[in-house]
Amino acid sequence: METLSLLGHGFSVAVSPLNLLLLVSGCFAGTLIGAMPGLGPVNGVAILIPLTFAFGFDPTSSLILLSAVYYGCMYGGRISSILLNIPGDEPAVMTTLDGYPMAQKGQASDALAISGVASFIGATLATIGLTLFAPLLARAAIHFGPADYFALYCMAFATIGGIAGVDPRKTLLSALIGLMIATIGLDPGTGIPRYTFNSFELYDGVDAIVALVGLFAISEILILLEKRLVQANDGLRVRFRMPRWSVIRHTLPASGRASVIGFLAGILPGAGASLGSVMSYTIEKQISNARNTFGKGDPRGVAAPESGNNAASGGALIPMLSLGVPGSGTTAVMLAMLITLNVQPGPLLFEKQPDLVWGLVASLYMANFTLLILNIPMIGIFIRILTVPTWALLPVVVAISFVGVYSISNSHFDLYLMIGFGLLGYVFRKLDITLVPMVLGLLLGIDMENNLRRALSISGGDYSILVASPIAVTLYALTALFLAVSVWLSLRDRRRQADPAHQGGALD
Amino acid sequence: MKKTNGLIAASVLAAGVMLGSAPVSAATECIAPSNPGGGWDFTCRSIGRILGDLGLVDGTVQVTNKAGGVGAVTFAYVAAERNDDPDLIVATSTVGITQIAQGRYPAPLETMRYAAMLGADVGVIAVDDESPLQSIDDLMAAIKADPSAVVTAGSSSAGGWDHIRLLLLAQAGGFEDLKALRWVQFDGGSDAVTQMMGGQIDVVSTDLGEIAGFVESGDIRILAALSDDPIPAFPDIPTAKSQGYDVTGYNWRGLYIPGGVSDETYDGWVERLKTVYDSAEWQDAATGSGLVPIWRGGSEFEAYVREQEKAMADVSRNIGIIE
Amino acid sequence: MGVAIFVIAALYLWQARGFQANFGDILGPSVFPTMIGLIALVLSASLVIAPSGSVSWPEPRRIARQAAALAVMGLYVLFLGQLGFPIATFGLIAALAVLMGGPVPQSLAVGAALSLGLFVLFDRLLGLPLDLLGSWFG
Repeated sequence: METLSLLGHGFSVAVSPLNLLLLVSGCFAGTLIGAMPGLGPVNGVAILIPLTFAFGFDPTSSLILLSAVYYGCMYGGRISSILLNIPGDEPAVMTTLDGYPMAQKGQASDALAISGVASFIGATLATIGLTLFAPLLARAAIHFGPADYFALYCMAFATIGGIAGVDPRKTLLSALIGLMIATIGLDPGTGIPRYTFNSFELYDGVDAIVALVGLFAISEILILLEKRLVQANDGLRVRFRMPRWSVIRHTLPASGRASVIGFLAGILPGAGASLGSVMSYTIEKQISNARNTFGKGDPRGVAAPESGNNAASGGALIPMLSLGVPGSGTTAVMLAMLITLNVQPGPLLFEKQPDLVWGLVASLYMANFTLLILNIPMIGIFIRILTVPTWALLPVVVAISFVGVYSISNSHFDLYLMIGFGLLGYVFRKLDITLVPMVLGLLLGIDMENNLRRALSISGGDYSILVASPIAVTLYALTALFLAVSVWLSLRDRRRQADPAHQGGALD
Repeated sequence: MKKTNGLIAASVLAAGVMLGSAPVSAATECIAPSNPGGGWDFTCRSIGRILGDLGLVDGTVQVTNKAGGVGAVTFAYVAAERNDDPDLIVATSTVGITQIAQGRYPAPLETMRYAAMLGADVGVIAVDDESPLQSIDDLMAAIKADPSAVVTAGSSSAGGWDHIRLLLLAQAGGFEDLKALRWVQFDGGSDAVTQMMGGQIDVVSTDLGEIAGFVESGDIRILAALSDDPIPAFPDIPTAKSQGYDVTGYNWRGLYIPGGVSDETYDGWVERLKTVYDSAEWQDAATGSGLVPIWRGGSEFEAYVREQEKAMADVSRNIGIIE
Repeated sequence: MGVAIFVIAALYLWQARGFQANFGDILGPSVFPTMIGLIALVLSASLVIAPSGSVSWPEPRRIARQAAALAVMGLYVLFLGQLGFPIATFGLIAALAVLMGGPVPQSLAVGAALSLGLFVLFDRLLGLPLDLLGSWFG
């Protein structure tokens, strides 16, 4: 009850004409920034921090603006994933798997509506979790040690094998190449450079956004250039259609499950939104893929990762606020912002500055509703992007990506790297190697290695520490169970496919 | 096609309107050699903001993030392309000097001119509130009895500043087998502290600023502050010196400017930064983020930096980090 | 193609052996790369022995067009500093659009409009500084 009254107070702080204006404009700006390839939530929030100083907002208003942008970006990232097969930011990678096939089937408005509703569910459930259990969950999360994190990443990679692709060996290889790229840069354990070829530009490793834009956007141009020009010029002829409620309703259970998984992944510092969307997708696929529709435009394959990543970004606020430990790149930026506003997140934040915390929580609820309301009518606008002819659309997307990356990093090298990744992405796509696992390898690789090394540093090189904690053992057991079920399902599918009556709805 | 044309027309119109109403562009730039959110980013953003607020620069200060190689990329870039730019300042700290001392930058210390430090984070040695260790003496006794029984951690890699500070302390306590001490690297001081609260590790060596909240809440206990005098915000924390270990470990925050600028430019910057340091805004911003405001500027600061580089190189060689 | 990845994995492994820190954690910087390099080696070898899928590479004329697109992007980065942002971006968008089969006048128009539009969006609205004129004109 006390929580509720505090939250009520939070709403009373948040509801002022200025704050509401900031909320709506923040949601709008965030959605657009998130939708632009090359600019994700990290950059979106970082860009707006100086603006909040320039206008001299008080801490509460600044927080409201920035959290609106934060959630807005998480909503926006999916738009280009679905419409163009180019993820707007890292957590939206998984959404390409079923979102783009849906758009190709002419169900773009459904896909956008589903992802909007799913994002809302994920973010709202996470915010409720934050309201009710924040300090408690933060205290539970600290018992997750390096060995347990390593087990978690093993689980993530074991389940990636089932994501998509014709040949599981190629999927795994793609993930391994991502891991290999992740090891480029200064080794965090010892500070020595690895695979940098004496180039200082590579000392900080390969920026995931650079890889992402190159792999997806630039390779798309190369793919289109090999087709006959006339073909390439056919913009998709889509017309706006009211999203069908029946389809959305069908995805609600998936969204609920994914929200829980994503939220749990978000609470663990370091795991973050990307892990949340991966686990949500792979687990949902395991549960619901009875008819082998995932990867071919299954609405639940859109709902699960979207709920998952939004729930994770909500969950990541818990360790950020109550421990001062950022769970992801974006929360790291928000942490920096709080510190610049003279707010020190940590165990005493909830006691010392309740106005601010509950004002933030209230603004998260409001941002969610605003985004849902804002996004459904905006589907009509977004869908028109598809009517722009390809020859105009893709060069512009590439230009936006270049500018987005360059304006943040000020590095020509990053742009060359992006072009290189474009070529790599093209070759891999020709070879039927799915790109998604590679991005995940790149995103999660460094944390996986670090936690393995931390665990062994603690034990003095004794590998038994990896299975010494009950959490790790449980995670390995779940992984084994998951793999066993996968093998059993694929054997069953093979038997079914042998049945001549079976019609495979194969799509490219 | 009509749609494309409409889009074009709209963009041209928008472009025209907005170019007309352009804000004053920033002449002064502060480069933070890290991604947004770190200590260097804080240095640039808060000092840049105050420089603008006090009218010490024309317009506002543009903060640029140029991460890479713990500052090495920016160092190389400034030396090669901005060597005589009078309107450029770059954030640095003890961490940057440690990198130079260990030969990890592309050019020597003298490539740049060091303008001033405006504050410092104090290194501390922390344990969990339920740890049996009550003092540095207890810690040293435990380490000497069985080095592998005490797992230490912090936010730098092995051989980084957090680690060196701890090793200096161990050396001062008469412990010589430094490589036997277990060190675990985490991404930040609060990451390390929460892992300590979870029982994974025993001792954390890091800056106080980031973990001050855990001290106030009583979750952790500080065995020693590596400062000359007790920290104003936490007068009860004993210094290492007061316990008989002559070790200090500050992580100062300051700025360098390109090496090719004139003496007038250099003196001008020192003077403006002194004004920033004396302002109430800086004192608030610094203490708010856990820094102790300390001023060293001009030739005094340059001498201090040279001395620190040499000391750091000696330590690194002594404990076997560099040849 | 399996061969190419095999070679890369082998080179990666060979490099990994060289990573040594005379001071550091117990596992050190080379164990993890060795682990993933070995798995990659085995997997790519299996793809050489038992390949799956078939690839049809585009005809030479199309490859030339793809190479041209990559060259346009490379030149963009190369001359960004000299040309300044709006002019370079105009060239990038217009050239790519023409390569992709867009009518020339419209391609130029889209390039002109969006290069200015993007400059305004990033430099003016978002406050991320971009070169307006570059070193040749500035």
